[in-house]
Amino acid sequence: MRVLRSLSTPGKYVALIAYLVFLAFPLLWLLSTALKTPPEIARIEPTIIPENPTLENFRVAFEQQPIARALLNTVVVAGTSALITVVLSIPAAYVMARYRSAVSRLTMLWVLLSQLFPFILVIIPLFLVLRNAGLYDTQLGLIIVYVVWSMPFALWMLRSYVSGIPVELEEAAAIDGAGKLRALREVVAPLLVPGVVAAAMFAFVSAWNEFLFALVLLRTPELQTISLTLVKFIGADGVARLGPLAAAALVATIPSLVFFAIIQRRLVGGLLGGAVKS
Amino acid sequence: MTSTRTPTVRPPAPEPIAAQPRRTFLGLNREALFLAVPALIPVVIFSLYPLLRGIYLGFTDARAGRDLEFSFTGLDNYATMLGDSYFWESFRIGLVWAFGVTILQFFASLGLALLLNQRIRMRWLARTLAIVPWAMPQVVIGIMWRLVYHPNAGILNSVLKDLGVIDSNVEWLTSLSLALPAVIVVGVWAGMPQTTVVLLAGLQSVRTELVEAAAVDGANAWQRFRAVTWPALRPVAFAMTTLDFIWNFNSFGLVYVLTQGGPGGATRLPLLFAYEEAFRYGNYAYAAALGNAMVIVMAVFVVLYLRRRLKEAD
Amino acid sequence: MKSIVRRATVVTAAMSTGLVLAACGAGDSSGTDDGPVQLTFQALAFQPESIEANKEIIEQWNADHPDIQVEYLQGDWASVQDQLVTAFEGGTAPDLVHYESSYLQDFADRGWLLDLTDMISDEMKDDIRDGAWDAVTFDDSVYAVPFLLDAQVIFANKALLDQAGIEVPAPDDPWTWDEFAEISRKLSDADTYGVAWTLKDPANRILNLALNFGGEFFTESDGASEVVFGDAEKEVLQRIHDQLYVDQSAAPEAIGMGGSDPLPGFFDGQYALLPKGIWFRQQIMDQAPEGFEWVTIPALKGESQTQAAAPQTVSIAAETEHPEEAMAFLEYLLNAENQATLAKGDWMIPASEGAAENEVLTETPDWPVAAASGAILEQAPFQTVRGYEEWKNKVANPAIEEFFANSLSMDDLGSKLVDEGNAILERYQR
Repeated sequence: MRVLRSLSTPGKYVALIAYLVFLAFPLLWLLSTALKTPPEIARIEPTIIPENPTLENFRVAFEQQPIARALLNTVVVAGTSALITVVLSIPAAYVMARYRSAVSRLTMLWVLLSQLFPFILVIIPLFLVLRNAGLYDTQLGLIIVYVVWSMPFALWMLRSYVSGIPVELEEAAAIDGAGKLRALREVVAPLLVPGVVAAAMFAFVSAWNEFLFALVLLRTPELQTISLTLVKFIGADGVARLGPLAAAALVATIPSLVFFAIIQRRLVGGLLGGAVKS
Repeated sequence: MTSTRTPTVRPPAPEPIAAQPRRTFLGLNREALFLAVPALIPVVIFSLYPLLRGIYLGFTDARAGRDLEFSFTGLDNYATMLGDSYFWESFRIGLVWAFGVTILQFFASLGLALLLNQRIRMRWLARTLAIVPWAMPQVVIGIMWRLVYHPNAGILNSVLKDLGVIDSNVEWLTSLSLALPAVIVVGVWAGMPQTTVVLLAGLQSVRTELVEAAAVDGANAWQRFRAVTWPALRPVAFAMTTLDFIWNFNSFGLVYVLTQGGPGGATRLPLLFAYEEAFRYGNYAYAAALGNAMVIVMAVFVVLYLRRRLKEAD
Repeated sequence: MKSIVRRATVVTAAMSTGLVLAACGAGDSSGTDDGPVQLTFQALAFQPESIEANKEIIEQWNADHPDIQVEYLQGDWASVQDQLVTAFEGGTAPDLVHYESSYLQDFADRGWLLDLTDMISDEMKDDIRDGAWDAVTFDDSVYAVPFLLDAQVIFANKALLDQAGIEVPAPDDPWTWDEFAEISRKLSDADTYGVAWTLKDPANRILNLALNFGGEFFTESDGASEVVFGDAEKEVLQRIHDQLYVDQSAAPEAIGMGGSDPLPGFFDGQYALLPKGIWFRQQIMDQAPEGFEWVTIPALKGESQTQAAAPQTVSIAAETEHPEEAMAFLEYLLNAENQATLAKGDWMIPASEGAAENEVLTETPDWPVAAASGAILEQAPFQTVRGYEEWKNKVANPAIEEFFANSLSMDDLGSKLVDEGNAILERYQR
C-alpha cells in the first residue's frame, strides 16, 4: 500500500535539516568539548574541531566517578519504571476511555492534580512517606516513585489515544465473530502501539533524567544514578570542569538515544488501512 | 425459548459499551474494576497522600525546624500572597513564559512531526536526532546553553557576527530585556521532542487511505491536512498542548540552572519563587500556598481552554 | 474471555501488590550493632586534588581508629541546599556536614545543628583565627568549625602590566581604591578594558567590599536589625559604577558574568585586571593557555582592607547518634596539618593559623598575598542578620544588578534596599 508521496521537494529536506541542526547541535558540542583540553575549552574563539584531541577527559571522568556503575543503575531504574508504568497504565487507560464512571472521573481528577501541583513542593512529604516505609536509600523506592509519578501522564496520553480509536472498530470486530478480548488484542492493541511507545519513552526519559528526588533519596555511592554523578563535576559559583563533564554527559545521553532509535520504528502507522470496510 | 436449528443467525449486536447495567461499583463492572484498580493502589500511598498533604500545608503556618508544631491558619497565607508584589511579578513572568513556550513549541513540533512522518532516507536517524534535547540531562542543558549565550566566547554571538547580523556582542542572558526571550528559546528547544513524539504517534492514527483519496480528488497538501489529518490529530494535540502549558508554567529546573531567576528577577518563574520560599527561607506553608494558587490558576485556564475546544469540536 | 481477563488482572494486581509489599518489607534491617561506630561525612569537594585530600585524611583516620569508621560522601554545591533541607527534615542527614557559614544561623535556629561550644578543645580554639570563630558563633553558641577562607583579590595579566609599566604591589603596600581606578584607566585602550567586574549575584561581594570604607548596611538595636544606606555604603557601589560608565575602564559585558565566564576574555587580553576570590587561582591555572603570565594583586585598601570572613565550615548534625565520636573525628579532620592540605586542595586560606605556616601552602603561587589576606578578615554585620538570605535574594541582588545595568539610580537603589528590606526583616523579628 502506497503511503504518502515521498519527500521529493528539496525544500522539505532543507527544513528538516534546519530543525535537526537546531535540536541536535549540542550533541556535537558535547563531543567536541569532551575531546578538548581545558585551555582549549576556555578559548575565546569557540572551535568545533579540537586542535589536540585527547581522551584524557574520558579517562578522568571514569576514574573519578563510578560512571559505568551509575549508568547501569540508571538503566535498571529507568527501564523498570517505564515497563511497570506502561503495563499498569494500559488497562486503566482503556477503562477510563471506554467506561464513563465515577472511578474514571476521580482518576482524571488525580491525573490533573498531580500534573498541576508543583512536584518540588511535594518532595518533602513524599520523602517522609518513603522514609517511613523503610525505602530510604533503595532503588526500589526510587522506582516506585517514578512509576507512580509517570502514570498520570501515561494514563492521560493512552486515554486520548484510545479515544481516538473509534468504538466502531471493536464493535465491527465483535460482529465479525471475534470475542471481546480478541477484539482488544487484534484491533485495538496494534493501533495503540504508537501511543504505548510514546508513553514508554516518556516514562523512561523522565526517570533517566530525574535528579532532585534521586538526590534526596539515595545516599550510598553504589546506588547513584547518572544525573547525580554528573553534578559532581560542578562546583560552587557555577564553575564546572567542562571537559570531564562533557565526557560524562555524552556517555549519559547515548543510552536514551539508542533506546529511542530502537523503539521509534514502532511509531509507524499503516496498520489501520483495511481494518474497517466501509 | 431454545432453538433447535443450527445457529446461522448472527449474534445480537453488542450493547453500547458506555451503558453498563447491573453489578457496578462506582460505575464499573467487575472486569473493568479488575483492569483499573491494580494501578491505583500504590498511587494512593505514594502520590495522592503526599499531594494532599502538600496542598494542606498551604493552609497552615508550617516552617522548617526540628520538631516544630504547626497549626491551621486558614486563608492567612493567601491574604499575604495577594499583597506580595514579588509574587505577582513572578506570576506575570510565568504567564509570558508559559504562553510563549507552549505556542511556539506546538507549531514547531507540528511541523517537525509532519516532516518525520514522511518517507525519507535515514528516517530513523532524523527521528533520533530530533530527541536529543530530551535525552540530555537538565544540568548539562543549562550549562551548555549558558555557554552558547556567553557574550564573548559563545557560538551564538560568534555565528551572528560572522553572518553580519550583529556587530557587537549581545548579552543574551544578562540583559534585562533579552533574558526572558532567550530563556524561552531554550524552553522551546527542550520541550520540542516530547511534543513531536506525541504528535508523531498521533499522526499514525490518521487513515492513510483517506489522505490518498483526498489527494486523488485533487486536494492540495493544506486541504488534505485540514480535512483528514487534523481531525484525527485533534484530541491528542489538545491533550498535549494542555499538558505542555501546565508543565511550562510549572517549569523550574531549566530556568533555574540557566539564570537562577535573574537578571534582576526578569526570569523568576512562579515555581522558582516557591522553591526559594521553601528551600531557602524554610517557609513551607507559604510555598505550598503558592503551589495551591498556581493549581487554581492553571485549572481555570485548562477548563476554559478545554471548554472552548470541545465547543469547537462540535 | 472472562477467565482471560481475570488472569490478566491477577497478573497486574500481583505486580502492583508485589510492589507495595516489597516496599513494606524492605525496612532497614537494624540488628544490634556491636561493631565499630559508623559515621558519615559529606564534603563538597569537587576538584580532584581536594577530593584526594579529603579521602586521604579519612583513610588515615580509619586506619588509626578501627572503632570509629568514617564514610565519605560527595555532595555538590549546586544542590546541597535542597538535599540538606530535605535530609534534616527527614532525619537522614549525615553526621558531619560540610557547608558554609552563611547558612549556619538558619540551620541552627531550626535545631538542626549540634551546639559545639563545650566540645571544642582549647588547642583547636587557639589554633583557629578569632575572625573565623566569630563567623560561626551565634548567640554565644558555636555551631561549626571553620576551615576554608576566601578573600577578594585581583588577578592581573602580567604582560599587560609590564607593557604599561605598572609594578605589582607588595602585600604590605596594597593599592588604594583611588590608585586602582587610576591604574584601570591607564590599562584601558582600544582592545582592552582595564578591569572586568563580574557582577552576577553581586550582593555578597558588594557588602563584603563595602567594609573597606566602613559600610555596614545593617545596624542592630534590641536584637532587631535594620537596613542602612549611607555614604559609607555607597562608596564601593559608586566607584564600580564610575568605572563602568564614567571612566569606561570596566567591561560592561562582564556585568552579568559569574564563575569562570570572564576567563576567555581574560586569557585573550581583553581584560587586564580581574577581581575575584583567592580560590579562583585554581581556575586560572587549570585553563590558562601556555605562556600566559599572571599575578595576584593584594586586596584593595579603602579606609582599611577589612573584608568579611565567610568561611566554609564543618558542622555536626543535631540528630547524630554519636556526638563525641563525631567531634573526635572533627578535631582530627580540621587540625593544623590537615587544614593545610585541605586549603591547598581548594586554593583557599586556612582558618587555622598553624596551617598557614605549613610549607604545603607556602609553596603555592603568590602565597604571600593569600596569607596577608587572611589577616584582614573579620566578621561583618550582615552575617548575623536574620532574614539576610531573603533580603539578598529578593531585594539586594536584583536591585544591585539593575543599578549596575544603569537602569536604577543610586537613590532608588537605596530606597529599595532600605524600605523593601526592612519590610522583610520585620517578619524575622519575632
